Amino acid sequence: MPTHRKSLAIAFAVLGLVALATPMRAEDEAAGTATIAASLKAISGPSTDDLTKGDPGGTLTGTVNDIVMADPKAGLTLADLANQIGQNRVAVNFVWTLVAGFLVMFMQAGFALVETGLCRAKNANHTMMMNFMVYGFGLFAYWVMGFAIQQGGSAGISNLGGMNPLNNEWKLSLFGKDWGLFGTKGFFLSGESYDVGVMVLFLFQMVFMDTATTIVTGAAAERWKFVAFAISTFFLGAITYPLFGNWAWGGGWLSQLGVNFKLGHGYCDFAGSGVVHAVGGLTALAVAMIVGPRIGKYNRDGSPNAIPGHDITMVLLGCFILAFGWFGFNPGSTLGASGNGSLRIGSIAVNTMLAGCTGSFGALLYMWIRFGKPDASMSGNGLLAGLVAITAPSGFVNTVGAVIIGFSAGVLVCLSVEFFERVLKIDDPVGATSVHGTCGLWGVLCVGLFADGRSNYGGSWNGVDGAVTGLFYGDPGQFVAQLIGVCTLVGVIFTLSYVFNAIVEYFVGQRVSAEVELEGLDLPEMGALGYPEFQLVTSSGGRSVNVGG
Amino acid sequence: MKIVALGMIVGGWMVTMGGLVGSEAIVVRLAAAVAGLGTSLAGIATLNSTHITQAIWNRGH
Repeated sequence: MPTHRKSLAIAFAVLGLVALATPMRAEDEAAGTATIAASLKAISGPSTDDLTKGDPGGTLTGTVNDIVMADPKAGLTLADLANQIGQNRVAVNFVWTLVAGFLVMFMQAGFALVETGLCRAKNANHTMMMNFMVYGFGLFAYWVMGFAIQQGGSAGISNLGGMNPLNNEWKLSLFGKDWGLFGTKGFFLSGESYDVGVMVLFLFQMVFMDTATTIVTGAAAERWKFVAFAISTFFLGAITYPLFGNWAWGGGWLSQLGVNFKLGHGYCDFAGSGVVHAVGGLTALAVAMIVGPRIGKYNRDGSPNAIPGHDITMVLLGCFILAFGWFGFNPGSTLGASGNGSLRIGSIAVNTMLAGCTGSFGALLYMWIRFGKPDASMSGNGLLAGLVAITAPSGFVNTVGAVIIGFSAGVLVCLSVEFFERVLKIDDPVGATSVHGTCGLWGVLCVGLFADGRSNYGGSWNGVDGAVTGLFYGDPGQFVAQLIGVCTLVGVIFTLSYVFNAIVEYFVGQRVSAEVELEGLDLPEMGALGYPEFQLVTSSGGRSVNVGG
Repeated sequence: MKIVALGMIVGGWMVTMGGLVGSEAIVVRLAAAVAGLGTSLAGIATLNSTHITQAIWNRGH
């Protein structure tokens, strides 16, 4: 195929398109269209003979031959070309969002390693199984109703083709405003929601929800009844998480604070510091309060004892896996790589990387200065804290902002762990409340502080024109919107989680017996030891150590 | 006591929402949100204190 002839024909087609964009008379327009049609028909790709010789240089593959024509007999038309471009854009976005979702799904493995490593060997099977089954319990709850509540009214996501079947948000009219509370389309992914775009959105949102549910298992580890865990997880995946997800991401009332109350762009949470991490962290706090501290954690005078985990290598490996998965979490939240400013994915990925690293650096520095050693588990938690905090602002801030947010979160998580352990006397074996709760709320506020007004996701966000801009860049209204989001998380989501888990405590009981706890949950709760070839010995402080293989 | 604590937590959020719908001034909305958040956090601390009194280490195990 003579390449110059093909180039000439494409040039004609482009010229024709440009000509079409300028005002012209009807007869000129008809002539122009005819010219374009003729030009398109003149385009030909590589011949079958050429293709059968193979394409080692990659110059013959992906040509006009590969454009799908509505009527091959009629030849290539302008409509074929436009449809192919549209489908290519959506295809790129589908693949991007799905691959990002697969990365986020793999974060479950990271959480499982971190939490199990930070627990004692006698509870390894139980902790690992909670992290394993949270995937199934959460997924089922989200498929039944969670997704519909969260995204049932979120039509208009153009990156994924529009999401037109998800077009019904239940709203309350109060004070002259509409307050979107929950979606009503997409239960069981049936009916009109049996749609390719909806399926992509479901997968991506499902793995986010699962991240929130798995946070709780860490805070309640080593004393949580498996049945109580299962019920609690189902509720979180079906109701609590989707509700806040709707308010923030599904077109609900928090996202409309900008439209309705002129507060910046409304509550902005790019990838879920609030929706995912603070919801998970606050639920973890509620459950940790209800189940109470582990035996041996506190002395009679209330002073805490350290109960070290059994495998720090698992913990740090898990942190690395989580950091890897976060590249799906944050950049994937553009829901596409093509159109609507989605090319910002590069900036979002770099922000994610920077905040995670500076988070671990901040925590390491704090622990080294305060306790004289560079603590491994807190360095890992610092990495996660930085990642959690950058999750909401990742799409709106520059790299300097990301570094400040990550570093501050790394220090904050150390202070928070000490505060919960020593002042509030809440036993959280893995620091989930501090990593995800405290730093999640901090991340939400950071949007209102550090958003630099340079992002452009299709020219508007949450229905408000322009870029999201924080207090330090001139918009105090955005900070107030974020603060209202934080108040809602603390005032409503925590309460909802607490009340439901208190009901579970009343009817089922949340905590295993003291005997089971002392023996370790593996045999009594799961029927098998995590490390059957090791003999587990309990010391007076309730600590288990491996003494032989 | 737990009911009072839960009332404080939800009440704090209502203070925030009151500021949102009651005024268009940023300063008023900001002040209401800060006051509301403080009330909710105090409520959580109160709720936690009721759990501490029943905690396993406080019961002589």
